[in-house]
This record gives sequence, C-alpha cells and structure tokens, in this order.
Amino acid sequence: MTSTDSPSLTTAGGQPDTSKTPPAGSTRAVVGVTQFKAAFTRYKILALAVVIAIVWVFFNYLTDGDFLTARNLSNLLRQMAITGMLASGMVFVIIAGEIDLSVGSLLGLLGGIAALFDARYHLPLPVNLVAVLAIGAAIGCFNGYWVAYRGIPSFIVTLAGLLAFRGILLGITHGVTVTPISPGLVAVGQSYLPALIGIILAAAMFVVLATVTLRNRANRRTHGLKVPAFGLDLAKIALTGVALAGFIVVLNAYRGIPTPVLILLCLLGGLTIMARRTVLGRRIYAIGGNLEATRLSGVDVQRVKLVVFGLMGAAAALAGVMTTARLAAGSPSAGSLQELDAIASCIIGGTSMRGGAGTVAGALIGALIMASLDNGMSMLSVDTYWQMIVKGTILLLAVWLDIATGTKSA
Amino acid sequence: MAETLLEMRGITKDFAGVRALNGINLTVRAGEVVGLCGENGAGKSTMMKVLSAVYPYGTWGGTIQWQGRELRAASIRETEAAGIVIIHQELMLVPQLSVAENIFLGREPRGFGGFIDFEAMYAKAAALMADLKMSHINVAQPVAHYSGGERQLIEIAKALSKNAKLLILDEPTSSLTRSETETLLGLVKGLKARGTACVYISHKLEEIEAIADSVTVIRDGAYVGHAAMADIKASDIIRMMIGREMTSLFPREAHPIGEVVFEARNVICLDPQNVNRRRVDDVSFQLRRGEILGIAGLVGAGRTELVSALFGCYRGPYTAEILLEGKPITVRTPKEAVRHGLCMVPEDRKAHGIVPDLAVGQNITLSTLDDYTSGGLIDENRELRDIDAAIAQMRIKTASPMLAIARLSGGNQQKAVISKMLAPKPRVLILDEPTRGVDVGAKYEIYKLMFDLVKQGMSIIMVSSEMPEVLGISDRVLVIGEGQLRGDFINDGLTQEQVLTAAITPLPHAA
Repeated sequence: MTSTDSPSLTTAGGQPDTSKTPPAGSTRAVVGVTQFKAAFTRYKILALAVVIAIVWVFFNYLTDGDFLTARNLSNLLRQMAITGMLASGMVFVIIAGEIDLSVGSLLGLLGGIAALFDARYHLPLPVNLVAVLAIGAAIGCFNGYWVAYRGIPSFIVTLAGLLAFRGILLGITHGVTVTPISPGLVAVGQSYLPALIGIILAAAMFVVLATVTLRNRANRRTHGLKVPAFGLDLAKIALTGVALAGFIVVLNAYRGIPTPVLILLCLLGGLTIMARRTVLGRRIYAIGGNLEATRLSGVDVQRVKLVVFGLMGAAAALAGVMTTARLAAGSPSAGSLQELDAIASCIIGGTSMRGGAGTVAGALIGALIMASLDNGMSMLSVDTYWQMIVKGTILLLAVWLDIATGTKSA
Repeated sequence: MAETLLEMRGITKDFAGVRALNGINLTVRAGEVVGLCGENGAGKSTMMKVLSAVYPYGTWGGTIQWQGRELRAASIRETEAAGIVIIHQELMLVPQLSVAENIFLGREPRGFGGFIDFEAMYAKAAALMADLKMSHINVAQPVAHYSGGERQLIEIAKALSKNAKLLILDEPTSSLTRSETETLLGLVKGLKARGTACVYISHKLEEIEAIADSVTVIRDGAYVGHAAMADIKASDIIRMMIGREMTSLFPREAHPIGEVVFEARNVICLDPQNVNRRRVDDVSFQLRRGEILGIAGLVGAGRTELVSALFGCYRGPYTAEILLEGKPITVRTPKEAVRHGLCMVPEDRKAHGIVPDLAVGQNITLSTLDDYTSGGLIDENRELRDIDAAIAQMRIKTASPMLAIARLSGGNQQKAVISKMLAPKPRVLILDEPTRGVDVGAKYEIYKLMFDLVKQGMSIIMVSSEMPEVLGISDRVLVIGEGQLRGDFINDGLTQEQVLTAAITPLPHAA
C-alpha cells in the first residue's frame, strides 16, 4: 500500500474487461514517449555510443576527414586516459553517494611526488610506482576516514583536500617544475605497444571473453538455471571479436596501443569485474542506494566508504604518475580543475548523483565524449572560451536528459 | 439518495505492458465515505493516482465523471482546483515551517507590497482549526513540534482550506496511535456531516466498518464489487479481497518451547536530544528456544528503541548486557549482531529495509554475500539459485529476481526483507512491525512462516502495534510503557484489556 506498488506485478484477475475504451490519440503519443524513455534508460550505454558516433561523424565532416584518422583517434584516446583514470575511481565515490573534489590537487601532488622520487632520489621505476600508489591510497583513506568515521560531509572534507594538497605540492616543489624525468618513467606515458604484442593481447582477450561466456552457460545449466539462446551468446562473442579487431587495427595503423590507454583498459576490466562480481562492488551500490538498510543488513558501511576513497586515491596516483610521464616533468599546476572533468565524465556517462547507479564503462565513455569535444574543437581552432561554454552546456544537457528520462522524476 | 459526485468507469492503466488496472469502477455520492479495499498491489494507490491526475488524462483508459461532467485533468493542480484532494501515506509537510505556513504553502495571503500577511494567515489558520475542533494546535508552532497523528490532521486541514469536495485518504492511520486514530475518524465523520465526501483506503477493516457508508473492493487490478456497509460484514470484505475464505487470520500452531537461549539485562537507552530522558528504562527479559515473544505497547513507548539496542543500532547512548546461550556477547554494530546469529527486520521498510535500486535478489543476499565468493568473485549462478529458492519459499510475487525491489508491492518487499534477514540463519529473529502496510494475504503468509521458523528451533521477538496480532501469535507478551517493562504475560487467554492496562499503569516507585 505504498506509492511504490505501481506497476503492480500481480496479473489481472481474469475478469472480463467490461468497458475497455480504445486508446485516444494522445494516449498513443504518451505511451510512445514512455516507451522511448524506458528504452533509453535500459540501453544507456548504447545511447552514449550513439552520441559518440554522432560527435565523431560531425567533427569528421567539419575537418574534411582529419578527425577520424588512426593518428587522431590514437591521440584522442591518449588525451582521455588521465581523465578516464580519475573517472574510474570517481564513479565509485559517486555511486556510494559521496563526492571527491580533491582529486585534481591529489593528482598534482602525487605526480609531483613521483617526479621528485624520480628526479631527485632516483628511485627505480617499480619502487616509485608502488610507493606513489601506496601514498595515494593512504591519502584517499585519510579523506575516507573523515567522511566515514567522523561524519563530515565528503564535499567539505575533499574541498579541504583540494586546498591543502595543492598547498603541499607547492611546498615540496617550491612552486618550480621538477625535471629531468628519467626515460623509464617518461615511457609509461609516451610509449606504444609493439603491433604484434597488441594483436596477441587482443586475441588473448577474445579467447578469455569467449571462454567465460561459454563456461557461464555450462555453469548455469549445472545449477538448473535458464540458459540464454546459443545464437544470442554467439552473436555477442562475434560482436566482441569485431570490436576488438577494429580497435587493434586502427591503433596499429598508427603506432600501436598507447601505454596509458592499455593501463586504462586494464583498469576498466578490473574495476568492472569489481563492480559486478565482488562483494565490495555490490556493497558500494547498496550503500549508495540505501545506506541505512545496508548497515542494518550487517554490512560494515564505514569500512566500505573508507575503501572507496582509498581506491579513488590510488586512481589519482595512477593519473598523477601518468601526467608527470606525459609532460616529462612534475608541474606544480598539474591536475588543476581535473576533478571537475572527472565528475562531469561520470555524470555524462550515466552515473546518478543520487548514488546507487553508474558504471565504469559509462564513465569512460563520458570521458571519451569530453575528450572528443576538446580534440575536435581544437582541430577546428575553436576559441578556448567557446570550448568551455560547449562543455558546460553538454554537462547540463546530460543531467537534464538523465532526469527527464529517469523513472524517479514523477 | 444524494447526487453522484464522482463516477469512475472502466479505468484501465498499463505499466510497460503490465496491466495494473483492468476496468475498475468507483462511485462516490456527495457527503459519502467510500471505503476502498484491496490487498497490496491490488491497484488502490494506482487508482487514486489516476483520479488525482498524478497520471494525467490520456495515460489511462476509461472515463471519470466529476459533478456530472467528464474530467480530463492533466495535473494535480487541475484536480485540486476541481475539489479533489489526495492525502498521501507519506505526509507532505515541511517540518521547519509553522502549521499556518504549511496550510497556506504556495497560497500565502499577501499584504502591502507583496509581503506575506502573517496576521491574516494565522487568523485564517486558527479559524480553520477551530472549525475542525482542533483548537489545541497552535498554528504558529513549527510542524515538527507535533506528532504523526496531529500532522495527519494538519494535512487534512490543509486539504479543506483548498475547498476540497472529495478527500482521498490513503492509509491515514498506518502510523497513528489508537487515540489519534479515533480523533481522525471523528474528524472524517464531521466532514461527512458538512457534505465533504471521502474515499478512505485502509487495511484496517474495523476503521472501514466504523466510518464507511459503502465499500468498493478491488483485487489484482480488477473490480470485484461494491456494497453498502449495512449489507456487508468484515468477513465478506476479506473474502472479496483475497478471493477465498480465510479460516483464521492467525494460523496458530503448537510448537515446543525449550530452554532460555537469549537474555537481555538492564537495557537503558537515553534520548539523544535529552540525556535526562530514558527512552528505555532498565528493561531485562529472557527468550526461550522456539518461543514467539510479542512486545506490545503504545506507539512511542520505547519498543523500537529496545530492539534497536539489542541489534546494536540505537542512535544514542545506551547500555545493554546481552547473553546468548548463557554466554555474554558484545553487540556494538548490526554486523556483530548478525555474526552472533541475531537478526532484525526493521520497522520502516522504505528507509531501513530495502535498497530500492538493487534487484529483489540482490536485496535478499545483501547480508550473506560473503558466502557466495570463490576466488574473490561472487558466484552469481550459485547466488541466483539460492535467490530463486528464497523467492519460491517466501512466495514473493515478482516478474524476475533481477527486477528492482522498489517495483514490488509492500507485502512482497517485506517478504524479501524478511528473507534477507533469514539468510544468515539467525538463532534469534527480531521482527519490528512485520506486517505494517502489508495486505491480509501476505500477513497470513508471514505468520505461517513465523510458526515454521519457531518449529525449527528459532526464537522470535516481535514488536507490534496491532493488538490482535500480538495476542494471536505470541507465546508470551512483554508490555512496554514509557520505556519501562510493565508486564510479562504468558499468552494463555490474555486479553487486550490486560495488555492495555499494563501499558498505561506506571510501575510503583522502586529503588
């Protein structure tokens, strides 16, 4: 007897329908809109893919085919990698119903630390990476501690971080760019994978995905669960294969898979599995959906929040190292305002600001859309101020679309 | 016979291909109270949303005749202008604003320069309150100052200030005490005398019997029948609602009761806002294996606070000594409670029970998710198999285990929440108002499940405000009044009077 009892799932009682009226014209229109909304919500990722396609075709037309070249697509992916890394962490923060404004400063700080470790202390690359990731996770947990255990709103905690982390960075670098960066570290951000290794990786990926799909069928059968049609699964596998092949062919046509993009893809895979198949992932969604109900189900919600912020910190560390490697320098202004790009990517990618809903893939597509706009407009020599206006507008429209098609708006 | 005020004919409504309403009729005459009855998910709320144009004209089929003319409203604003006002289950008042400001929200009387004319507003509001014999309410006080029952009355006053000709009350008494309920029923009777018609939706048939002139029953989205209250008995209504004869509301079954398994000693909960006030005042009790222990008392007596303290989720300072099978255990968080085999189904399903966006199945496995991991990953197939079993066992009506739980009816949500708290295989299960907002059929199934559980050796603590339920189900009844334990009865011919008397009789002043 709550307002949520609609739509009722009970079937109609079988009484003859005494006075059925034919639907009026306006009814049909409303039903049409409703169905469109339902389809949009259901296939959000597909809708985003369509948006990307439109943006790309549009820019390709305006640039006389310069946009959709292997070289530019490779650049585009490299450009989105850093924002993508931040967005991969941010999406879980937002799903958990929180926000992290400090990641831009944190990226700068950790990138600066990586640069100092490299340029001043000459730490070997693996040690440097592990150390920076650990520091990132620790600082993230520090944020998480104040949010989860001390009950301070994450907006405030991370706003404080936004100021303080940038301050620390300026302090330890004395506001001066840190150089020179060793070739090993630079390679992390600027190298490409040899074509053959790329092909082998893609093939291995394909084999793994196909095996998982097929094994899942067998597994479902042994548990007496319904198995989807074989043709459907085959089509899925085939489609994956085509996508992987296309990806590798395009990138190999230029210089191969850029290392940052490879890392981002690993992040996408790992975090997607975490989101969908691990206890932690499920609990992040549960906390964002209803914190109290999750707590009363016997879940240590504070620890989950702590871990989410820790994860965000580690993602910021990765992005920081990548930034330093790409610039071949530790810049005291690195990462300024990047938290906003990361948040915008998540939102455009369908993450709900109310918490409880969102995907890593969506956030990355969001980042890709943002990067495409940046890249395309730069190629067209659109003024920076116009670029900012366009990006702001897109963000607003994306959220409006989310709300207008959301089921909760009624 | 008075003239026909409202006539809804052949109302149909679909949600994504699922027919929620299938040709429902409803007739209301001027000055008449019509009881609308049906199980959860029968379509009562949907029907009222059609009437009040939450679902605008064109999104449903059928016709609505209002005062002899066809009503084609596109928004709630239009139906309110026509005189149809709906009062929702969840109240729509702004707690920080005063009673008068709430009543005239959006329609504030304006004075010189467009500023709100507070004097006029307070005067009008006070006059309205006097008219409704609610003069004890100070219209300048913030709404937060008043109890749930009084807020319900304020909401009605607000509706009447909009010149409502037809008032729709959707489960108005679900969180009211007995005396508040009586005030509300009295108010509705008064309105009837003034010519305001009313559609009264409730699970509580005694309220329908007390107040309605006629009853319309719907079931599974279809119209079942309409009858004058004088020609029909509560048992007839129940039969029409569930479509079968109910032999007994409480399927009481004999079950063995064993040794003491659980003991709470000296539970004291302080009011977080006022530490001088004890919400629970030194309560101790024991629970035996296979026992159903009912905790009765008036709303606000401290029953929910007591069980929250046992489950480690009381919001405020508290102390409690808990012994499980003779051994003292520490329970500081719900997590620790669950680990010790102590589970609780909370009172407020929406706020504390369900994670609305998660699937039915994911809600069910929320507390036992760790059991399904292999190599760090959740084995979804194994999880789904258990979910399917739970859905079948609890007879949860859902199109799919992957459907978001928010889309189920209240009764089915409750079954899923109970299922979730049964998954950790608790030794002691606390049920706080397990059948609130749950329809008759689902209630019966929940009771039956409780007996199945105690037969298997589980012990149950059930907090309930519904006296027939406490008396019909419990083996033993604790009575709480103003935070004190005021009665501990073996339920053998226990009467409602005995329980109520205990609840309102303060303990003699002891040391």
